[in-house]
Amino acid sequence: MRNLLRFIIQHHFLILFLIIESFSLFLLFNANPYHRVRFYSSSHKVSGRISNKMENIKDYFSLYNENQKLSEENARLYNRLKSSYRLVAADTIFEGDSLSQRKFMYLTARVINNTVNKQYNYITLDRGSAGGIEPEMAVISSDGIVGIVKTVTPNYAAVLSLLNRDFIISAKIKKNGYFGPLSWNGNSTEYATLVDIPHHVQVNEGDTIVTSGFGGVFPEGFMIGTIDHFRLKGGNYYEITVNLSSDFRKLSYVQVIRNYARQEIDSIEYSVNQ
Amino acid sequence: MIRELGKYLFLFIVLIAAQLLVFNNIDFSGYINPYVYVLFVLLLPFKTPKLVILVSSFMLGLSIDLFMGTPGVHSSATVLMAFSRPGIMAMYSPREGYQTGTYPRLEQFGIEWFIKYTVTLVLLHHFALFYLEVFTFHHFFSTFLRALLSTILSSLLIIFSQFFIFRR
Repeated sequence: MRNLLRFIIQHHFLILFLIIESFSLFLLFNANPYHRVRFYSSSHKVSGRISNKMENIKDYFSLYNENQKLSEENARLYNRLKSSYRLVAADTIFEGDSLSQRKFMYLTARVINNTVNKQYNYITLDRGSAGGIEPEMAVISSDGIVGIVKTVTPNYAAVLSLLNRDFIISAKIKKNGYFGPLSWNGNSTEYATLVDIPHHVQVNEGDTIVTSGFGGVFPEGFMIGTIDHFRLKGGNYYEITVNLSSDFRKLSYVQVIRNYARQEIDSIEYSVNQ
Repeated sequence: MIRELGKYLFLFIVLIAAQLLVFNNIDFSGYINPYVYVLFVLLLPFKTPKLVILVSSFMLGLSIDLFMGTPGVHSSATVLMAFSRPGIMAMYSPREGYQTGTYPRLEQFGIEWFIKYTVTLVLLHHFALFYLEVFTFHHFFSTFLRALLSTILSSLLIIFSQFFIFRR
């Protein structure tokens, strides 16, 4: 007993180091995607307010670019208005009448915290469950897709960024519709990797990659990026490197998309899997 | 003693704030991120009990982890660094040893000693940090490069800070 005590006293530094280090590593190893998000959003109750203030200041520096983007988007939306069309035939039916039902709803939110330099990046939005945001909603910017909402508090939402090793989405080549999973490779903020495209498919550099709409989170046909380069992997499938169209370093305003059909899609897919 | 404690507590808070508000916003092409908060571990006095070094380093790493949302990454790297501090100090100790009443600072031991001391510990911290964060040896060389370049930038910032802040 005394020897044991002497041993502990003699090596107390090493022993305490091992205890603290194993606790830290325990935190690290136990961090599955769910814990990571919880850790992130709980820490945000503390720092959300500070981030909000910081972002308020930073916003002024990007006002010019933001205005430019908003006015471009306004113009695009004006073009889709009913008043921008001329009635060519008396029996033409327009979108938005009683024959169509709303499928997607767009909410705007501001990015108050965003990282790009980690392997598991998250984005914080200044709008939460009180503003109608729920987990598993899609997030886009005017340039392309951004991520998926993971957790919400009443006033803030934590978004799993596309630049996160846990992020995976079904994407397709716009011109021929072949689809596969797209994920980030953890290297550069500008590129993601699309795999499982069979080798007989005609692929060219510069082809557009869009969301496939499978999974019910993202609507179909949203811009992800363009093909930068590709190579055959294992002889049967292409591994395609996609140049992302969103600039994650400059995100400031985003749209969050609610899919009204999602619950129904989920429940039918669940019943098939049973 | 109490005054000293207050001073280091102040340094602790200022470094966390500086890391979160300033240095986290610096990154060149996603490769180089300086982590300057480790300056706290470097500057603790010689006479600090080893246990206090370990525990305060853990608190420092954990605070950074909490704000950056990276459970365990910064705390384990910082604790590893704190653990190696006495060994590294012994390695670079001047011929007559460290006198009582001196502090591990640039103005007391000269630039050469401070550079050696800083670079070794920062290198250790950054390599632990970057590999723990990626948690794979898959892109070994790209991580290696990130850790190395970040070490250079962090060390430079730390050494320069000594010329401005702790001049008394």
